[in-house]
Amino acid sequence: MAEDQNASDLALVRRIKEGDEEAFREMVERYHARIYSLSYGVLRNAEDAEEATQDSFLTLYRKISTFDESKKFFSWFYRVALNQAYSRARRRKPVTTVPIDEYVPRLGSDGRGSPEFSAWVDGVEDEVIARNLAERAEEFIAELPEPYRDVIWMVDVEELKPADVAETLEISLPALKSRLHRARLHVRQRLAEATAVPPAESQGARANRVAP
Amino acid sequence: MSHDEIRCRQLILEYLIEYEDGTMPESDRHRLDEHFAECPPCVVFLKSYRATGRTLRMLKPRDIPKNLADAVVRFVRARCKE
Repeated sequence: MAEDQNASDLALVRRIKEGDEEAFREMVERYHARIYSLSYGVLRNAEDAEEATQDSFLTLYRKISTFDESKKFFSWFYRVALNQAYSRARRRKPVTTVPIDEYVPRLGSDGRGSPEFSAWVDGVEDEVIARNLAERAEEFIAELPEPYRDVIWMVDVEELKPADVAETLEISLPALKSRLHRARLHVRQRLAEATAVPPAESQGARANRVAP
Repeated sequence: MSHDEIRCRQLILEYLIEYEDGTMPESDRHRLDEHFAECPPCVVFLKSYRATGRTLRMLKPRDIPKNLADAVVRFVRARCKE
């Protein structure tokens, strides 16, 4: 995230510390969509994500005096939001995840000849197929263990810079890249499987199919 | 260098992320370019890896609930008055 963004954040932080209500309102306007989206990535439920967003801003309001201004504000606030989302997620039924090591790349048999796979690989021209695949991809992200899920959500969905995500998660950049790559390989593999048409299936049955 | 399942898998596991994010040294990048030029299965894999990224970016922007900012401000004010 740009330095001038951080400088602008810090100016707001200082005004909030002084009790400026309008500055808090500006901070909400600036960050609510990103915090909601980040929360949704962990919780995958609109109502929970909305409540986690409210809790994150409440924590921001109450704990802003503890924020060290030599650090980047967004890293601190994203950690606050992730912690809120995790604590809410832990109160719910645990989600089954798959061991990441099962998803090493397979190069030979992932249905690359099927029409759906071609549509996906060649730029996702068809809006309906593309939307359907994106929804499937969301399910496949949810299968990942937490450290992988957060990284791929923040970098590939939220399009945050890898260096910023590494700072937020307090891990090294190489560690982040490793997790990101493994997570992408998993989602790629699952998308390939989802778009593959079994050889036994007839041409006629393929016509109306988007994904199994 | 022709397609070799084990060797290509190693290449994808170890080098693809830096090839894609632009941080790979030029000499290594050149070696991978040469490999891709001679290995159609790896090119298909590379395309599908990139398509995965494009597919994931379609998840954004997520629909943000209407009036969420107002709801957040009301919530925080109410809690802080308690």
